[in-house]
Amino acid sequence: MLPKELEQELRKRIEESDHPREEVINVMYAVQNHYGYMCDEAVHETAALLGMTSLEVDELATFYDFIYREPVGRFVIHACDGLVCWMFGEESVVDYLCRKLNIRIGETTKDGLFTVLPSVCIGYCDHAPAILINGEFYGSLTPSRIDDILDDLRKSHCALVRDR
Amino acid sequence: MPKLIIDDREIEVPAGTKVIQAAERLGIMIPRFCFHEALGSLGACRLCAVKFKEGPVKGIEMSCMVEARDGMVVSTTDPDAVSFRKWIIECLMLNHPHDCPVCDEGGHCLLQDETVSGGHGIRRYQGKKRTYVDQDLGPFVRHEMNRCIHCWRCRRFYQDFSGYRDLGALQIANRTYFGRFESGRLENPFSGNLIDLCPTGVYTDKPARFKGRRWNFERGPSLCPHCSLGCNTTGSARYREMVRQEARLNEDVNGYFICDRGRFGFDFANHPHRPRNARSAGEEVSWERGIETAAERLGAIVREAGPDAVLCVGSPRCSLETQVSLRELCRVSGWSAPRFFLESSTSRKVRSAVSKLDEGTAVSMRRIEDADFVLLLGADPVNEAPMSALAVRQAQRKGAAVAVVDPRPVFLPFPFDHLTVTPDRMDLCAAVIVKRALSGDNTATLSGEAAGFLESLPSGYPFDPELHSRMDGIAQALERSERPVIVCGTNIVGESTPGLAGDLAHLLGRTAKKAGLFYLLPGPNAFGAGLQSSTDDPISVLETLEGGKIKALLLVEQDLFRSQFDQERLDRALQNLDCLIVLDYLPSPSVEKADLVLPTTPLFERTPSTFVNQEGRLQQATPVHRGGTPISQVGCGSRPPRTFEDHVPGGDPKAAHEVLDELYRSLGSHERKPLTAEFGDWKAENRSALEDSSLVFVGDRVFSKDAPDKLFSSKITPTEPREKGMEVLSVDWTFGTEELSGYSRVAQKGESVPKLVLHADDAARLGLVEGDKAALQFDAGETILEVGIATNMASGVIVVPGHRLLERQVSAQQPTIVPDNRIRKI
Amino acid sequence: MGEQVLLKNFRPDRPATIDEYRQSGGYEALTKAVREMKPGDVIELIKDSGLRGRGGAGFPTGVKWSGVPEDAPFPRYVVPNTDEMEPGTFKDRVLVNADPHLVIEGIVLAAFAVSAQKGIFFVRPSYEMDAELIERELQVARDAGFLGDHILGGDFSFDMAVHRSAGRYICGEATAQINAVQGQRPHPVKGGPHMTEEGLWKRPTLVNNVETLSCIPHILRNGADWFKGLAKTETGAGTKLYTVSGRIRRPGCYELPIGTRLSEILEDCGGGMPPGTEFKACLPGGASTGFLPRKFYDLELDFDPMKKVGQRLGTGAVVVFDQNTCLVAVTLNLIEFFARESCGFCTPCREGLPFVRDLLRRIEEGEGKEEFIPMLHQMAANMRHAYCAFAPGAAAPLQGLLDFFTDEIREHIARKQCPFKAGNGKAEQGRG
Repeated sequence: MLPKELEQELRKRIEESDHPREEVINVMYAVQNHYGYMCDEAVHETAALLGMTSLEVDELATFYDFIYREPVGRFVIHACDGLVCWMFGEESVVDYLCRKLNIRIGETTKDGLFTVLPSVCIGYCDHAPAILINGEFYGSLTPSRIDDILDDLRKSHCALVRDR
Repeated sequence: MPKLIIDDREIEVPAGTKVIQAAERLGIMIPRFCFHEALGSLGACRLCAVKFKEGPVKGIEMSCMVEARDGMVVSTTDPDAVSFRKWIIECLMLNHPHDCPVCDEGGHCLLQDETVSGGHGIRRYQGKKRTYVDQDLGPFVRHEMNRCIHCWRCRRFYQDFSGYRDLGALQIANRTYFGRFESGRLENPFSGNLIDLCPTGVYTDKPARFKGRRWNFERGPSLCPHCSLGCNTTGSARYREMVRQEARLNEDVNGYFICDRGRFGFDFANHPHRPRNARSAGEEVSWERGIETAAERLGAIVREAGPDAVLCVGSPRCSLETQVSLRELCRVSGWSAPRFFLESSTSRKVRSAVSKLDEGTAVSMRRIEDADFVLLLGADPVNEAPMSALAVRQAQRKGAAVAVVDPRPVFLPFPFDHLTVTPDRMDLCAAVIVKRALSGDNTATLSGEAAGFLESLPSGYPFDPELHSRMDGIAQALERSERPVIVCGTNIVGESTPGLAGDLAHLLGRTAKKAGLFYLLPGPNAFGAGLQSSTDDPISVLETLEGGKIKALLLVEQDLFRSQFDQERLDRALQNLDCLIVLDYLPSPSVEKADLVLPTTPLFERTPSTFVNQEGRLQQATPVHRGGTPISQVGCGSRPPRTFEDHVPGGDPKAAHEVLDELYRSLGSHERKPLTAEFGDWKAENRSALEDSSLVFVGDRVFSKDAPDKLFSSKITPTEPREKGMEVLSVDWTFGTEELSGYSRVAQKGESVPKLVLHADDAARLGLVEGDKAALQFDAGETILEVGIATNMASGVIVVPGHRLLERQVSAQQPTIVPDNRIRKI
Repeated sequence: MGEQVLLKNFRPDRPATIDEYRQSGGYEALTKAVREMKPGDVIELIKDSGLRGRGGAGFPTGVKWSGVPEDAPFPRYVVPNTDEMEPGTFKDRVLVNADPHLVIEGIVLAAFAVSAQKGIFFVRPSYEMDAELIERELQVARDAGFLGDHILGGDFSFDMAVHRSAGRYICGEATAQINAVQGQRPHPVKGGPHMTEEGLWKRPTLVNNVETLSCIPHILRNGADWFKGLAKTETGAGTKLYTVSGRIRRPGCYELPIGTRLSEILEDCGGGMPPGTEFKACLPGGASTGFLPRKFYDLELDFDPMKKVGQRLGTGAVVVFDQNTCLVAVTLNLIEFFARESCGFCTPCREGLPFVRDLLRRIEEGEGKEEFIPMLHQMAANMRHAYCAFAPGAAAPLQGLLDFFTDEIREHIARKQCPFKAGNGKAEQGRG
């Protein structure tokens, strides 16, 4: 179940649109954000909001790489394996991340913190190699910089949990 | 008309023709997967590549994407094109599992054909194959995605052509997956067409799974007997058993498709309890003895009580041969004319419909697809005649406005305007819409009687104020239209409605519009029955029996116990008879009660049979196999057979008209020629048995010579305030209410639990919620059903399916009113 | 570097504000258009200017616009394309971040030219920060009267919203982009009426790259001849944002006269090759262009000169490779990208690319056979007959590899290993 406020906000958005179906990606993002990933229930909720069938929503949800139909970690890393990023470094960023986090591509760390997804060129070739973490860009990566980033994220997450 | 050259041969084609179609006209079948005549061009598979050598397009292009233009010189055999096509096949075979030995498509697989003819034989790809997890798509269609070559036909048919939304394309790139959100029965009542459309074995016929290869089957062009549309099919049988039914192209009728009821209903012919032997007083007798007994009993009754003591009742599912024979038998024997409908109201509605259809007004489903306005009056296409819904869908896709005047919660797989009026107001509502659409300019051409009829139509609709503005909108759409079609049902409507629909269509046709009229009739040969019955039945068959004068009842492929609510009353009426003779192929309750049973064969067996569909189209079903009890039911499968016999077990039954003929000869009549001696081939010149004074033949169609009869005589009678209470309507469902498919174990798997449905307001008043069980008390007893609630239906109405699983059914005689206090929650 | 037009207001730390943009002459063109010009005049001017689409295809912009019939129904749409998913390409991000109001003014002018009412700014998910920037600046423009109802007090009204995409390269293809906006699966659509007649919701729609649109205000202010004069080539017009990345000292986005020679771009702007490396080849315009070997080092990077030698300018995203880079591995990376991003609609793309990938991978891993080479030739050729431009684009680097670096492929096959991998002898460092 979506929280009332979110549901109302989305309903309003859809009602204001000339073509409700134009909102489907926005709704998927919002619902995914709430559930953590685009679970089956999220697909059903999206379909109900937009007057689509679950299949119609899933035709889109499974197409796009920024909609996650399987559970992901707290931090989703889209690691660029595009040409330019891949040219840098003896080992690609994807390989390094996977080794460092002890997971394979597409998997989530046991603590539920990190998911590594391979990504096409993310458009930061002038800062290669680059990655996106939860949509935020990190560039000019080196192994030690990646280590620092992962450490910082872990710490910030722990702090957040402690504060709660 | 562009002229082009394909493979050195010139052809002229209509503008807009694609090169692939132009080639087909020359007999050149350019390989294709995604292109399909009914679905049109897509350009996805890239298999139909040809070389354009001269003209406005040059080089390798897809013949399905390029329109034929003047000056084109096209080669389908150019080495570049051939090698490209071969590569495309190679690509499509990268991941194909090569499981032809265990695939039901093997033997009639387009992928096999194109692979072999395209010359791809050696595998160069050494990578791993992609695999998928299949889904359970329900009882009819088997899913095996590994075989998929991604031609997109399934999704295009499912979503675009038919308008259903639970199967589509998931994932991306070479992981693209065609299926549902999750396993589950396909919601589309046309889902079986995926089997025909799929160029390989992703969707196969589940009931026919592993029953045989195409070449193992006896096959024949047949017809669908499960509603009045007369869709064309190809039947397949093996070991004296019907195995499957496929759609057969008829551009005027069903196009390339059929509905699932038509595809999976055939199994009634394999019913294990089907009568296979003559039976007298419950005992099996020889065929000859059966005929003699029938003749003796009938002869004795005529001698004792006179010829009027014999009543013959055929049905709308009898072939035309049988209907004609029955009429002839009655005539030469001096008996009263046969009945074809149990209810007199049904007979009047059908005859009224037949009387309005003439060459100019009767439209085929093909013509509906071209309509720019469709008014459905008391017609529920998906449930009553599914393929007509697909025809209206095509019109809607091309921009036609679709309006429905109906009290039921009608569902159509596309947006439409639904005026939920009660049955007593439907005539008025339709008349007002037409009246408002015809005003001023467009009525100038109307002649005296048409103008008078228009004048007589009411323009005010004093009920349901919330509908008024929508009625205006519909009237405006009708006013703008050039090719409107009125589709009128004959089930829940009053007796006056078919006549009115006819008059309204003729009225529209007298303006500048090219108007069409399309009825849904109760049965595959209801039109034939309408043509063969000389007068309206004054009272129902039941009431006639209750009169007590009838001593012998001859039922020909008719079941008295169907759609008859008050079975005790029927049983009492049957007490008046001295003899009940039943000719049928169904193991019906009437067969159970008969004194004498002479089994007949359905349209799949023995002899050709003719049916007239609801637009007057004469069509013939040729037998699929010779008949006889299926080997699976007699032989226990032992091989070699332990005993050898010189006759086919269960081979006695004959087509009903043949049985009538034998009976006629056994009755010792003076005329010794067969009843249908001159029936011959209806396509031939010699059809004098049909060519009597009351019929007129136009091409493949036959109409009543008097049609349109009593034109513009419809009167809109003011609606009387009716008794207080809920009006119960007995309605059709796609599965479970039609007689023949009700005996099909395959189609039964498609049935859902019978439910009564009523408007949410009524439900609230009656204290009913969705899923409750409720009892409806009729005078003769109680019916208990699950409750369904809808808002897209008229208030004051309860809709109950005439479902085979309901012990007591609502009489087809309308209206049946049940007061609130006789509806209770259980 | 030549005259800075599009990046005139570029500053390394932040985007230019509306005031800074206006000080540099911003929104003068819009004011002039709304007050003094007819939509047809704008289209004629753009036609005269010789502006060609910067998204990759290079279609003349004015011609595209004149495809909107005068009597076409309303509303009409403009869809500024900032999907920019071509590997190696990041010019649109730089442009939006440098001078957002230049982009906005260009869009509004395009809308004026075709009498459009609604804009849909299509942004890829990795540019979320840019999407937020655009949303903010759109409101600024609205408040200043350059966007919304009755722009600058005139009769012309046009407003715009940001459409956030959820990824996938194919969404950059104009017809697929329209499907994406409509909430349909983003497959390309061919064979129907052009989008300028029937696009978004069956209404006339312009899909233009934002770099293209950003040229419009300048053309209106300075005239068609001035714009043509910016180019270094005879047939070219305007400046071009070239992005340089890969093995280069100073990767970045550089605005240069269109038709600037590759050597100048690499040496003058990119600072030349890093120490110890030498130029081997480059992709001139992103992943869907062919490799330019050393012999094209002085080629003018503009549509026509490149077409003459069988190459394409693409997006002007130059990716540079040195002598230690294995081009088989580069091509494999690119094909892997295309195979993964194929929308799955047509056979050559959906099945053909994984087929090519398999062959290249075997070659790279030392399992290659001589017969793979003619197979790759055949597939690169066949790929051109795919449904949309995606697979032909994918075939471009493959074709380049086959045309200019067959020896490199043969060496892989002969040595049964990649000669560039560390320890395999050919290179001391660097990977494929």
